[in-house]
Amino acid sequence: MADFLSGYSIQSWLESCPQGYLEDTDYGHGAGEKEPEEMLGNDTFREDAIRTTVQLVVGERAALAASSGLVNAAPDDSSKMFLATQTLDEARHVEIFTQRLLDLGVRKDDLDSTISRYANPNLVKFAEVLLEKVDKKDFIAGVVGQNIVLEGMAFSVFEMMHATNDGTNPKFAHTLSGTIADERRHVGFGENRIGSLIKEHPEKKAEIQKMQQDMTYHMLATFADSFKANSDVVEEAHSQSSPDAKAAVYHGVDLNKADASEMEAVLSDTVLGEFKTRLGRIGLEYLSPAA
Amino acid sequence: MAEVDPHALSEEDFHAEVHSFQFWLEAVEGYLGGTDFGFDPNLTDEEFSESELNYLVTTLCNYCVAEQAALQASSGMISFAPAPDAAIFLSTQVVDEGRHLEVFVHRLKMLGIEDPWQEITARSNQSLLKFKDRLLEFVDQRDWEAAIFVQNVILEAMEFTVFQAHAATADPITSGILTGVAKDERRHMGFGENDLGRKLKQAPHTRTRLNRITAELNPLVLSTFSEIAEELKIDTEDLGISSNYLATIERLGFST
Amino acid sequence: MNDPLIDSDRFTADRQKYELTDTGFNEVPKKYRKFYRKWKGKGDELADNEVLCPVCLVVIRSARSLRPGDRVYCMPCMTRLTVAEEDGMLVARVVY
Repeated sequence: MADFLSGYSIQSWLESCPQGYLEDTDYGHGAGEKEPEEMLGNDTFREDAIRTTVQLVVGERAALAASSGLVNAAPDDSSKMFLATQTLDEARHVEIFTQRLLDLGVRKDDLDSTISRYANPNLVKFAEVLLEKVDKKDFIAGVVGQNIVLEGMAFSVFEMMHATNDGTNPKFAHTLSGTIADERRHVGFGENRIGSLIKEHPEKKAEIQKMQQDMTYHMLATFADSFKANSDVVEEAHSQSSPDAKAAVYHGVDLNKADASEMEAVLSDTVLGEFKTRLGRIGLEYLSPAA
Repeated sequence: MAEVDPHALSEEDFHAEVHSFQFWLEAVEGYLGGTDFGFDPNLTDEEFSESELNYLVTTLCNYCVAEQAALQASSGMISFAPAPDAAIFLSTQVVDEGRHLEVFVHRLKMLGIEDPWQEITARSNQSLLKFKDRLLEFVDQRDWEAAIFVQNVILEAMEFTVFQAHAATADPITSGILTGVAKDERRHMGFGENDLGRKLKQAPHTRTRLNRITAELNPLVLSTFSEIAEELKIDTEDLGISSNYLATIERLGFST
Repeated sequence: MNDPLIDSDRFTADRQKYELTDTGFNEVPKKYRKFYRKWKGKGDELADNEVLCPVCLVVIRSARSLRPGDRVYCMPCMTRLTVAEEDGMLVARVVY
């Protein structure tokens, strides 16, 4: 176990992040890269980008609070080390997405009010369910909630957003690439570290599955609200896109052609599919919010 | 690379800059690039006498106790940080403290200690353990002023002083590790002193309470100092306690 | 306090300019490195454009000679300071 966990060292993190894919980046993207003019010049697109980015800030703030809170609850020093690096990863995500709000024209003085105005109440509740476990220093539930449910959701959301932005907004696509690379480590830690702990504490299963069910409910409600709110934006974007534009394929769906409900369906199916697979691997049963 | 005069930044921009992840990233790239667990991997270890080795192991074990305290405290403080940029700064501190613990544990392994965690428990200085417990009590109570004072002012100033003094006399590998660690401590110490200094200006009544904490913890700090100095065979005068640790406390207006 | 942002004339007039070069100080991002250097301890004489940070004991450097009242920043320890004169020497005082 000790050798396996040494992969979670800060030395490995330093070599892969600051000295790896983050080297020479500026707030996660290439120096000099900017948001596209077509988006900044269109109030509807810009507001949609602000609304979406606010959800990312809210999610990352929750992840920062959770990962830092879990350092003290971790039962071993290797997990503490890993969670220390995750804390900094999450803080970086808060910073780069907050910076994106500024790049989109939100004034510094208006940051807090903008975040409060656009934050999805279901996403706030999603975070509250997780942070309740962290506050109780419940390490196993906290890591499942944070590194499997929250990170699993973030991983899929970022991948979908990356597919959408890859051809049209290189700056944001590069920002997302770095966060996806970070999330890969986080979901990996969640599965690898918790699998053995669940085996040692089977009595925790029911409580953790209930937490996953509640978090999934709020997550799906967040998706529904978000895609409903931007259905007009999606239509407008499609009407303005060039017929020769390269397809933005995500799990078999061309996001340049799909409507908002198709996008919601592919994202929800992907995230839930991932949940089922990951939870199954660590010995937990996925509970549907509808159950 | 565009040239930037830091002294021409506005105060708001200065604080936003130095508390950011981006600043931390570019700062640590400067002195951690090319190192492996905090030292130049081309260095080889020297021969230690049995007593030298014994003292060094005890000292490193106590550094680990201090770093464990700092890791637990800084991560616990993020959830009640007074502003988002303070939370981001503390996140960089969490990874710094985790790194310090890791490099000291790695050094213990290099020195032949098979189970460093057990050794740390066995060799812990009692004053330092009491200090750690008190710090974590403040963190559990979500008491920002007390926690930042004890962690980023008292503990960091103590570590900074000891690490710098030890680096000057240590073997090349330990010295390299300590020099890098002290560079991180500069940020932590400065953050604590400045944050607290601003708070005390706005709420001078806080001073009375923190003065009581200083009076309570000073004997523990000074006793830890003298024990470490004895182990390292360093004169306490050489440790520069009066010029560093006590000067920090004095600058903030606390009696020493 | 002389703020180079607000009092640019007062800050630059009649002052000796210094061409700063990298001194090997590596604790801040590259773009700021030449504005700081290591302090060599007692006996390390400071130039007219230098002042010692009392918090972290790093030498802060400016592109112009410093005068009492100037605002400077110590980036390694994130401290705002004002230059003052003490016993005929320039010193930096912390401004919280």
